[in-house]
Amino acid sequence: MASRHATAPSVQQEAARTQAPPPRPRAARRAGGRERYVPYLLIAPLLAIFAAFYLWPALVTVLSSFFRWGLLRPWSPVEPERWNFVGLANYSETLTDASFWNAALNTAIWLLVFPLLVAAFSLLVSILIWNVARGGAVFRTTFVLPMTISLAAAGVIWSFVYNPDPQVGMLNAVLDKLGILGADWRLGPLELRPGAWLSDPGVLDLGFADIRLTNLALIVPAFWVFTGFGVITLTAGLTAVSYELVEAAKVDGANAWQVARHVLVPALRGPLVVVVVVSVIFALRTFDIVYVMTEGGPAQDTMVLALLLWQQAFAFLDTPQAGLATAVAVLLSAALVAGSYRYLRQLLAGRPR
Amino acid sequence: MTGAGRSRRTVVLLYGSLTVLALVWLVPVISAAMISVLPLAQTRAGWWNLSFADVTFGNFARAWDQGLSQYVVNSFLITGLSVALTVAAGTLAAYAYARMAFRFKATTFFLLITTMIVPVQIILIPMLPWFRTLGLNGGPQEYLGIALVHTAFGAGWAVFMLGAFFTTIPEDLLEAARIDGAGWFEVFRRIALPLAVPGIVSFAIIDFVFVWNDLLLALTLLGRDHQPLTVGLANLQSPHLAQDDLVAAGSIMAILPPLLLFAALNRFYVRGLFAGATKG
Repeated sequence: MASRHATAPSVQQEAARTQAPPPRPRAARRAGGRERYVPYLLIAPLLAIFAAFYLWPALVTVLSSFFRWGLLRPWSPVEPERWNFVGLANYSETLTDASFWNAALNTAIWLLVFPLLVAAFSLLVSILIWNVARGGAVFRTTFVLPMTISLAAAGVIWSFVYNPDPQVGMLNAVLDKLGILGADWRLGPLELRPGAWLSDPGVLDLGFADIRLTNLALIVPAFWVFTGFGVITLTAGLTAVSYELVEAAKVDGANAWQVARHVLVPALRGPLVVVVVVSVIFALRTFDIVYVMTEGGPAQDTMVLALLLWQQAFAFLDTPQAGLATAVAVLLSAALVAGSYRYLRQLLAGRPR
Repeated sequence: MTGAGRSRRTVVLLYGSLTVLALVWLVPVISAAMISVLPLAQTRAGWWNLSFADVTFGNFARAWDQGLSQYVVNSFLITGLSVALTVAAGTLAAYAYARMAFRFKATTFFLLITTMIVPVQIILIPMLPWFRTLGLNGGPQEYLGIALVHTAFGAGWAVFMLGAFFTTIPEDLLEAARIDGAGWFEVFRRIALPLAVPGIVSFAIIDFVFVWNDLLLALTLLGRDHQPLTVGLANLQSPHLAQDDLVAAGSIMAILPPLLLFAALNRFYVRGLFAGATKG
């Protein structure tokens, strides 16, 4: 990516420099004077909608997280007589709640596994595609195709694949043929039960916590949907790798693996960071797949934070848990902003000037 | 790349592994497509025992009649309205951010960009009461309500992506028009806008896919009569009901519009994503 940046804009800059006199666009525009209201006019519609349907509700979320309330009697900034101020109680209650930590653990599994899967697989596929002389575009399109599919539809589609009945579900039909359907393996702390993908495919006992493998069964469809983003980003990054460099490495006796390891992967550092950061954002927001496929079950095995707070706020309207839900929402958003702050700064550094 | 040094075995291995991966990649979609065109009894015996004699589109007809038609109409209404609003408001704002200097530019830009990272959940919970206050609940005005929320949440992507396209227009072009006496609106409409059309199309496609595929906002904010296909599909999906045929038909209906758009305008889509993805 670095080299893309180095080449693309410099051509423009070069062109601008050779033209005398060097234009000072901003100064020139200010000289227009009369039209100084124009930019405000242009941004007004978007900013008005943004303020009314994002900034204000987000502010209400943060404020109302210090009150106890439920959606049947919503917190309102203009009705102080109905306020039930509880200070940080929503936060302390959340942080001492076992179901919160269970959801946090499952979200952590997503955070760890999902970006790794996306990055590793799209790296493999991109390098393979880069190596083929013809038909690369067809393969790329194939891997990008699921990106247009909604997570809701992907959840439904993968439920067919996961169907426990080997007469109906493709995956179990294959396992059945291989003779390992319904096996029950124990490998140290790991229990594996291939077949019951969405109920109980196994568990990894870490001592301090049980990692439910059902989460992996949910991560796979999300990975299937999202990998196209990685493939697009990495194949685009690979177009910047210079042919001469690869040829030179080959002349020096590097084999295909060494070329990939020492020439391609280093060139992809920037795009890989983008893929991982965007995957992390995606993983922390996970809601649709879980809602459609398991609703957080069985028990709370696949509950994630985004679904937990939604259920607290909307599934149990008669209990005043919306305050708790807002606390979870604030914590989740804070984690996302903190985690991706550097990425945000990068985006801003490259913003249109 | 396939130079003289490349052995035949390597080439076969490359294409072989890519083909296998691509086929595995397509299995889920193929499953759903097959289940959607086979009678339920046939599906129960394994759809892969292909018996094309039984292919039927009856599942689609029944799914359509059993209420999916309303969901499809809603999906198109919500998506059309949201994309139109986001593109209109976003194009104007992006032009200002890319090409003009004004106060609070950096601050407002930063705030807009946060929508790309902060999850929807941060606004979700107070949204229902807020809709009630604004009179956006309980009628066709719900379409407008959710479109406005989608516009607010697409604002970051809009100014970011569209701004990137506006920035690539050479300043000389705009300056030449100004010297010829064109006002800002003329410059925008006659020069900047036509040049940015490919970018606007890319953004519109990406926004279409994004809005069409939304489940969370629709599930939370919309009444039964106004929900889109994603919600309809989630409702239809239940392990206790033996209606795989209907569910499969519904899922195919849900993925077709964005897929067709993607197929027709593949180049735009990839370019747009690329601009959004790697500008940082």
